[in-house]
Amino acid sequence: MTMDITLLFKASVKTVKTRNKAIGIGFDSGKDEILKRGRPKSGFCPKAREVVANITKLKDFLLQHRKDYVSGGSLISSEVSRMTDSERDQIDQDAQIFMRTCSEAIRTLRHEAEKQVGSAQTKDHRGAVLDLIEAYLRGVCKLYSEQRAIRVKRVVDKKRLEQQEEEEGSLSVCSPEETERIDTYPTGNLWEEGREEDELSPEEMQMFEQENQRLVGEMNSLVDEVKQIEGKVVEISRLQEIFAEKVLHQETEIDNIHQMVVGATENVKEGNEDIREAIKNNAGFRVWILFFLVMCSFSLLFLDWYDS
Amino acid sequence: MAAASAREKQTAALKRMLNFNAPPLNTSLSEPVWKVLIYDRFGQDIISPLLSVKELRDMGITLHLLLHSDRDPIPDVPAVYFVMPTEENIDRICQDLRNQLYEAYYLNFISAISRSKLEDIASAALAATAVTQVNKVYDQYLNFITLEDDMFILCHQNKELISYHAINRTDIQDTDMEAIMDTIVDSLFCFFVTLGAVPIIRCPRGNAAEVVAVKLDKKLRENLRDARNSLFTADNTAGQFSFQRPLFVLVDRNLDMATPLHHTWTYQALVHDVLDFHLNRVALEEGPGPDPSPSGARPKRKNRKTYDLTAADRFWQKHKGSPFPEVAEAVQEELDTYRAQEDEVKRLKCIMGLEGEDDGAISMLSDNTAKLTSAMSSLPELLEKKRLIDLHTNVATAVLDHIKSRKLDVYFEYEEKLMSKSTLDKSLLDIISDPDAGTPEDKMRLFLIFFITALQPPTESDLEQYSKALTDAGCDLSPLNYVKQWKAFTKMATPANYGNSGVKPLGLFSRVMNSGSQFVMEGVKNLVLKQHNLPVTRILDNLMEMKSHPETDDYRYFDPKMLRGSESSIPRNKNPFQEAIVFVVGGGNYVEYQNLVDYSKSKQGKKVVYGCSELFNASQFIKQLSQLGQK
Repeated sequence: MTMDITLLFKASVKTVKTRNKAIGIGFDSGKDEILKRGRPKSGFCPKAREVVANITKLKDFLLQHRKDYVSGGSLISSEVSRMTDSERDQIDQDAQIFMRTCSEAIRTLRHEAEKQVGSAQTKDHRGAVLDLIEAYLRGVCKLYSEQRAIRVKRVVDKKRLEQQEEEEGSLSVCSPEETERIDTYPTGNLWEEGREEDELSPEEMQMFEQENQRLVGEMNSLVDEVKQIEGKVVEISRLQEIFAEKVLHQETEIDNIHQMVVGATENVKEGNEDIREAIKNNAGFRVWILFFLVMCSFSLLFLDWYDS
Repeated sequence: MAAASAREKQTAALKRMLNFNAPPLNTSLSEPVWKVLIYDRFGQDIISPLLSVKELRDMGITLHLLLHSDRDPIPDVPAVYFVMPTEENIDRICQDLRNQLYEAYYLNFISAISRSKLEDIASAALAATAVTQVNKVYDQYLNFITLEDDMFILCHQNKELISYHAINRTDIQDTDMEAIMDTIVDSLFCFFVTLGAVPIIRCPRGNAAEVVAVKLDKKLRENLRDARNSLFTADNTAGQFSFQRPLFVLVDRNLDMATPLHHTWTYQALVHDVLDFHLNRVALEEGPGPDPSPSGARPKRKNRKTYDLTAADRFWQKHKGSPFPEVAEAVQEELDTYRAQEDEVKRLKCIMGLEGEDDGAISMLSDNTAKLTSAMSSLPELLEKKRLIDLHTNVATAVLDHIKSRKLDVYFEYEEKLMSKSTLDKSLLDIISDPDAGTPEDKMRLFLIFFITALQPPTESDLEQYSKALTDAGCDLSPLNYVKQWKAFTKMATPANYGNSGVKPLGLFSRVMNSGSQFVMEGVKNLVLKQHNLPVTRILDNLMEMKSHPETDDYRYFDPKMLRGSESSIPRNKNPFQEAIVFVVGGGNYVEYQNLVDYSKSKQGKKVVYGCSELFNASQFIKQLSQLGQK
C-alpha cells in the first residue's frame, strides 16, 4: 500500500514560501516565467499526440458502428438500425484510407526524428514513442480486420442459406402447382379444353419434373463447389498474408546480402584486372631482358670481329 | 480465491505506480501514454526481478535511466521517479527540477521520506518555479526485493552494511547497531504494509532477532494507533479473504551455522553455490575451445553470457528444487519433445510441396491449412522453448563441470552423514588430504561443519592434526577461530539437531538408465535426497502447530494489535497458523528456502514465505567468517 503525500508536499511548499517571505528572499518570478515560455517547443511531441488522437478517433468510430456492422440481421428485418451493404463498404473504404494516412504520418515522423540532431537519449525516446504508436495502430487495424472477417463469413453463410431456401422453396412451389393442376384437371372443363394443347400429359410432366430436379441438383453441386473454392481461396489469402509478412521481414536482409555480393563481384573484377596487368608486366620485363642479353652478345661478337 | 503472493502484490504496486498511481485499466486497447522512468540502484534491484524491459515498454516507458547518470532534457514528457529518500538523491532531484529536464514529475519514494527532506524539495521546486510540475509525491513502501513468489531479501546494493559480519563483529558500536536494526525494521515494515497484514511475532530471546522484533512491534503499534495515517486500513485487508493473521518468526543466523556452509544437491541451490547468481540472473563464462589457435595468436577472450531465470520459465519453476540428476533427465526429455515437434513442422513442409500436383489434394487442403496455421502460430512458442532448453543446457553443463572438478557429490554425501550423525565410512582426514577433491574452500567448509556438529569438541591433538592437514591443503584458518568462539557462546544451548537424514545411492539399474542421457554423469554418484528438516524448519513447525518443545517454549510473543504490550510469552491464540513468514537476521541461503518449500508442500494448505537480510552463498559466508576470525 502506498501513501499519497502530495498534500503534505503542497503544505511544505506553503511553509517554505512563508518562511522565505519572512526572511526576505524574493524570487523574480516574472523573469523566469518569460524564460520558460521562450523555451523552444519541439514539434515532435504535439505531432505524435495528434497521430494518437487520430487513431483513437478511428477506434471510436469502428467500435461505435461495430454492433450495426456485425449484426448479420435476421431474415425477419425487425431492427431499424440494420446497415446496408453499401454503408458497410463505405465504412471499409474510409477505415482503410484512414489507416493508410496514419501509417504514412508515422513514417514521416520517423524520418524527421532521424534527421533531427539530438542527444542519444532523445533519439531513443522518440524511437520508442513511435514504436508504441505503431503497436496501437496495429491493434486498431486488427479490430477492423476481425470485423471484416466476420462480415465476409456471414455473407458467405447467408448466401448458402439463401440458396438452400430457394431450392426448398422451388420444390415446395412445384408440388402445390402439381396438386393444383391435378385438381383443376377434372374440374373446370370449359376453359380446360381450350388449354389442352398447353397442358402436358402426366408422363411428360413427370419427365420434365425429373429433369428439373436433376438440373437443380447439378446446379446446386456446382454452386457448392464454387462456395467451397471461395472458402478455400479466403483461407489461402489469409495464409498468404502471414507468409507475405514473413517474407517482407526477410527483405531487408536480402538487400544487405545483395549489396555485399555486388561489392564482392566488383572486388573480384578489379582483382582480375590487376592480375592481368601484372602478367603483362612480367612478360614485358622478360622480353626486355632477353633483348638486352642478345644485344650484349652481338656487341661482344662485333667487338671480337672488329679487333681481330 | 487464494491470497496474492508477496511478489504479485509488489508487481501490482509497481504497475500502479508506473500508471501514475492510478489503478491500471484492463482494457485491451488504450491510448499509449509515454513516460520516462528514473530510478536509483535500490530501485533498479527492486524492479529488475519483477518486470522485464518488454513489460516496461508495454506500460509506456520509453526510457529508463539511473538517477545519477547524465540525463538530457526531454521536454513534454512526464517522468516517474522511484528512489530512496537519501541526501544525494534529494540533491539530484532538486538539480533536475532546477534544470527543467521534464514536463511533469511523479516522485515515488521507496520508503517514507522525512518532513525536512520534503521541504528541501519544496524549496528547490519554488526556486525553479516548478511547483505545478510536481504532480504527485508518494511513499511507496516497497523497500524489499522479492525474488520468488515466496522469498524476499532486504537489499542487494549495500548489503555489507547489514551483513552477518556487520552484526556480529566485536568492535561494533551501539550507534552502528541501532542504524542496522533500523534499516532492517524499515524494510520489514514495508514488507508488511505491502502484504497488508499485521502479523503475530515470535522470536527467541537474547540476540539480534529479539531487538528487531521489539522495534518492529513498536513501529507497527504506532502506525496502527495513528488512525489518520494508518496503512492497515480496512480497505486494504478487505481484498484478502484470509481471516487469520500470519505468523512471523524471526530467527538469528547464529542458531544454525552449518546450513550456509553445506554443499547442496538441488538445482537452484547449486546454481547459487557454484555459479555467479544474483537477483535471478546467472552469468556464465564461455571459455575458448579446448585447443587454442596454434599459430600463437592472442588467446580469445572469454565471453560472459548472462541468463535470466524468471517466473515465466516453466522448466525452471518446475525443477528448481529437484536434485540435479533429475534436472539432467528433464532437460533431455524437453529436448526430445522439442525435436519431435520440429520434425512435425518439417513434415508439413514436405506435404505442402506435394499437394499442388494432386487433384484429390483439394480435400486434403483444408486439413493441411489448419495444420499449417497451427504450426505457424506455434512457431514462436517452439523458438522460445528452444531458447529455454539451450539456456538450461548451458547452465546445467557449467554446474556439472564444477561438480566433476570439485567432486561435490562426495562432499555432499559426507556432510549429510555428519549432520545426521550416522556412521562415517571415510575419515575426515582422508578427505582433507585428498589433493584432487575440491578447492581449499570446500575442505574448510567440510571441516567447519564437522566442528559445528560434533557433540564433543575434538581433542587438542586431533585439532592439531586437522589444522596441519588443512594448512597443507592451502586453507586459511581464521574462520575456525571465529567458529570456536561461537561454539563457546552457544554452548549452553542444546546443539542443533539436524534431524534424521539418509543418503542412499541410486541402484545400478537407474544408473544404467541415466547413462543414456546427454549429460555424462559417470563418476558422479546419483544421490537421492531423503526428506529431512533443518533447524529453522523444525522451529517453524513447532510454532505453527503450537507444539510444545523445549527449544521454542521460551520464545517471546508480540501482537501489535493488542492494546497493551505484554512481556509474557504465552500465546493468546491456540489455533495452528495457516500462513507463516520466516525471517533470518544475518543472512540466509537457498538451501533453507528449499527446505521450507518442501515442508510447506508436505503440509496441505500452509503457506510459508522465507526472507533474509541478505543472501549469500558459502564462499561469501566463509569470507565473512574469516574477517570475523581475524579480529
